Amino acid sequence: MNLEDLEREVARLEDIQAIEDLQKMYGYYMHSNQRKEIVDLFSDDAESLEVESAGLFLGKEGIKKFFLTDPQTTIKEGKTDVPGWINILILIAGGVVEIDPSGKTAKGRWTTWLPESMLLGALPRQQWVHGYYENEYVKEGGRWLFKKLHWNVTFFTAFEAGWLRIPLLGLLTRKDADAPAPNFHPYPCFFQLPYHFKHPVTGE
Amino acid sequence: MATLEELQARIGRLEDIKQIERLQKIFGYYQDYGEWEKIVDLFSDNDPSVEEADRGVYKGKESVKRYFVHLLGGGPDKPQRPGWLSILFQLQGVVTVNDDGASAKGRWYGMGMEAKPIASLHEGELRQTWIHGVYENEYVKEDGKWKFKRLYFNLVFRTPYEDGWLRVPVVGQNGPDNTVKPDASPTAYFPYPSGYRVPFSFKHPITGL
Repeated sequence: MNLEDLEREVARLEDIQAIEDLQKMYGYYMHSNQRKEIVDLFSDDAESLEVESAGLFLGKEGIKKFFLTDPQTTIKEGKTDVPGWINILILIAGGVVEIDPSGKTAKGRWTTWLPESMLLGALPRQQWVHGYYENEYVKEGGRWLFKKLHWNVTFFTAFEAGWLRIPLLGLLTRKDADAPAPNFHPYPCFFQLPYHFKHPVTGE
Repeated sequence: MATLEELQARIGRLEDIKQIERLQKIFGYYQDYGEWEKIVDLFSDNDPSVEEADRGVYKGKESVKRYFVHLLGGGPDKPQRPGWLSILFQLQGVVTVNDDGASAKGRWYGMGMEAKPIASLHEGELRQTWIHGVYENEYVKEDGKWKFKRLYFNLVFRTPYEDGWLRVPVVGQNGPDNTVKPDASPTAYFPYPSGYRVPFSFKHPITGL
């Protein structure tokens, strides 16, 4: 191994670290509901955002629309103040991050566990929620940003009932989405969100 | 200033830890979807073993396959029954790469949510459960790839959603299977509230003991 190979290896490890930090920071900003800060984690050339049943939001404009005009958590457009009891806590684990050989883009899968409380319909509800991310990242000006965010829900159940009895407590469909959510197939339909990675041993 | 060789060795160690963590997490994703064949391929061909909860020890690649594909999967390419759910987070890995650079150990938490048929008087009844346990796994590097040498999951609790771990620590004890038989009895099956501590693969980071 020469110095160049070594530098490439170090850069790859640093890239993975930076992307893991980015993904976790997204979770912390969501929890504290800092929507403006979240929007700034996305590239200006971001492709799309797809979340749960909410829908598909295209481009940076769509992403701004999703976060900054959310009827669920926004009191006034552009503001993100919410009542204290609303809690969107995303525990993010299991990051498998692959850096493209170009070193300019990357993909990552994560698993998430969400103890939440929010308005559902007219009612305040407490929920257990599970889902997976399959996200894409891009490096611009030496910094990693979201290129594509896709969070796919597995179940979304009432705390009082559990996933077997109530797989889906309700829909969070957004009528201002650019398209209906293309991959919204919650439990128990056994939808398998495709992996971006190859099998680590067989390579298939 | 470190030499190029020293730096290479240090980067290599970090890279090994990263690859092992990746292996364990990908195992978790395959397990969530019940992709048993893919899991078997994550194991070494060289005397691997698997032991989970009270199922007993399955030794050798053929037995590893019997365990995942035939016991857990119910046979090759058998679709999961409707409502089957398996989510087991692979958390908090502490990976120790041995000095040889070719073998390693890792301790992890498994924590998750399931809906599976529970062995009971009502055979096949789906129950929703919380599950928690501790992994102490061994890995081996073969042809530049890290693989499982030993997968060991020690169950702490598997409780019905409606009851909780204090009231019902384990629902649906399986025991060693009569048809897809293990090669040896469980080495240590002492779920909550026994207070059993799974021995640590790592040394105390300060005292070294």
